[in-house]
Amino acid sequence: MYAMVATGLALMFGVVRLINFAHGEFFMLGAYAFWFAFEVLGLPYALAVLVAAGAMAVFGVVYQRTIIRAILDRSWRVQLVATLATSIVMTNLAIIVFGTQAKEVPTRLSSTILQVGELRIAWHRLLVLGASLVIFAALHWFVRRTKIGKAMRAMSQNREACAVVGVDVQRVALVTFSLSAALAGGAAALVTPLFNIYPDMGALLTLKAFAAVIVGGFGYVQGAIAASFIIGLTESLAAGYISYAYKDAIAFVIMIAVLLWRPQGLFGRRIGI
Amino acid sequence: MRTVVALLLAVLAAGPAWAQGGPPIRVGFASAMSGPSAITGEGVVWGATMIVEETNAKGGIMGRKVEAYFADNKGTPGEAVSAVRKLVDVDKVDVIIGQTHSGACLGALPIVKELQVPMVIEACSNPKIRELMGKGGNEWAFRVNIDDEIMAYTFAKYMAKSVKSATVIAQNDDFGRGGAAAYDAAFKKAGIKLASTEFFDRGQADYRPLLTRVKRSNPDAVLLIMLASDGSVFMRQFRELGLAQKLYARGSMATVEFLNQVKDNPKIGDGLVEATYWTASLDPEWEKKWLERWKTPVRVHGSLAAIAFKYAVVSAVELAIKKTGKADRQAIRDALEQVDVKDSQVGPIKFDENHQAWINMLLIEMRDGQLKILEKLPTSPALLK
Repeated sequence: MYAMVATGLALMFGVVRLINFAHGEFFMLGAYAFWFAFEVLGLPYALAVLVAAGAMAVFGVVYQRTIIRAILDRSWRVQLVATLATSIVMTNLAIIVFGTQAKEVPTRLSSTILQVGELRIAWHRLLVLGASLVIFAALHWFVRRTKIGKAMRAMSQNREACAVVGVDVQRVALVTFSLSAALAGGAAALVTPLFNIYPDMGALLTLKAFAAVIVGGFGYVQGAIAASFIIGLTESLAAGYISYAYKDAIAFVIMIAVLLWRPQGLFGRRIGI
Repeated sequence: MRTVVALLLAVLAAGPAWAQGGPPIRVGFASAMSGPSAITGEGVVWGATMIVEETNAKGGIMGRKVEAYFADNKGTPGEAVSAVRKLVDVDKVDVIIGQTHSGACLGALPIVKELQVPMVIEACSNPKIRELMGKGGNEWAFRVNIDDEIMAYTFAKYMAKSVKSATVIAQNDDFGRGGAAAYDAAFKKAGIKLASTEFFDRGQADYRPLLTRVKRSNPDAVLLIMLASDGSVFMRQFRELGLAQKLYARGSMATVEFLNQVKDNPKIGDGLVEATYWTASLDPEWEKKWLERWKTPVRVHGSLAAIAFKYAVVSAVELAIKKTGKADRQAIRDALEQVDVKDSQVGPIKFDENHQAWINMLLIEMRDGQLKILEKLPTSPALLK
């Protein structure tokens, strides 16, 4: 879950040099889109996941066209305030539209349990793991092999040079936002059968994904994925063996430690001189 | 023109009906209307709207109309201060009901004293609040609901009949920490071994690491200090890991709110026993009206706010007007000390010198997706000795 959200965040930063503080709310909106498709429209699970991801891809386009386009060339302060404000507006709109009552979307897989010796695990968790691996492989292929993927990589290295050689910068930004939003929507649709959907669910997630992006090396997608898994696992282990109450602090302690030791992130290259 | 005249006449006709009694009584309701606890505030707005409309339909309080105002405390101490200031400075309320969350109540106590506005607490169960209110302390705060220390001794005694050891799992705030401390002491007295105390932040998605710890220490029972919104996720994972501990709770677990969230598996909470002071079946008519009006099952905090209004505030305003002819903040505060309601649905409401009312305590059991009152126990200060 962290990994998919962090990947989107890292993509956005890598390609357009912008930190989207509303990214957790993309996840929240994706969860509601999934709830609507699965519970209200009664679509089969797999189709509902695709609908959620698709709806978010469209939302990503709208978001880029309306908010991001206006602030892309402004200072980081303007970008911070704009994306943060979007996040607050989205959370409160969700409270008004969907209400504060948490929504539950259990599937047959989330309540069927696999037992191997002492280990008990819901089948749905295995599905999430499998699906994430497939999605990451597909993403890897997309960024490496397709034309637009290559343009995204090029843009992450030098935006001006891209513009000079004729890459449509706005279009690449559009695809990046659409893809990042779809990833958040897909992640939400995959994990929500295990959890609850509520308007505030994205708040901490943005910060944790942000921590993963920093730990992984800013804008470096594979780094963000690896860092997400490191943070997720450390968090679970710390929660199990040290203290559950402070597990949320762990992600940020890791972030601070990495910043002290390797300011460019675990896998990032040193920027500048 | 004719419409305008008709409207004017209507206004004139309606006006004097309220003017007879004097200016309206302004009542402020403070609760969490945004953030992770927003569900409680939404319920409070609904409950308050219903009860205030009902009161006005019956002619208000002694001919004076009631106006409701709302403020968002986000469930936190800092925001509670802003909420009180907004209600006092902007809305000019005569009395405040609320804060709902213990942290917010603790945050609001100093400011209601400073601004000299009476506050009737409807649902904050941190035991520290009782020590701070009343004679020698905060004379402006009153609490209708009983707290965790009052309930803990009785509940621990009940638990001791069937368990020898227990783990406490509590939310990481003033409500959870206050409750956990109360049960720590009560367990010692009842001879239950406290295996461990675990805290979690609200809105948590993954309880598996915590549940794995419980599995390792393997106590006879688990006591949850938790609200329904977290409880549904927790219970699914509790069952997923196949834990078999007996379940006890404080919060809003054995409620229609919880059952509404686990509709696909209503038996998931079977066997859980909750200590509380309110349940939907205490007032079936209210429950029915709520469902019709808001199309969602009745909520505990909104109902408690309505009870605090109906019995404590309305009675106090009546007493104040009878005695002093006015219903200002000072008169309402003084009158609250005289309130003596013998038979509200939650038990007697009469504030002692600590401004604490001693309503009934309930033990509710969830069984086959239904809620059953196991015991209804009167409370008194003697419980704490």
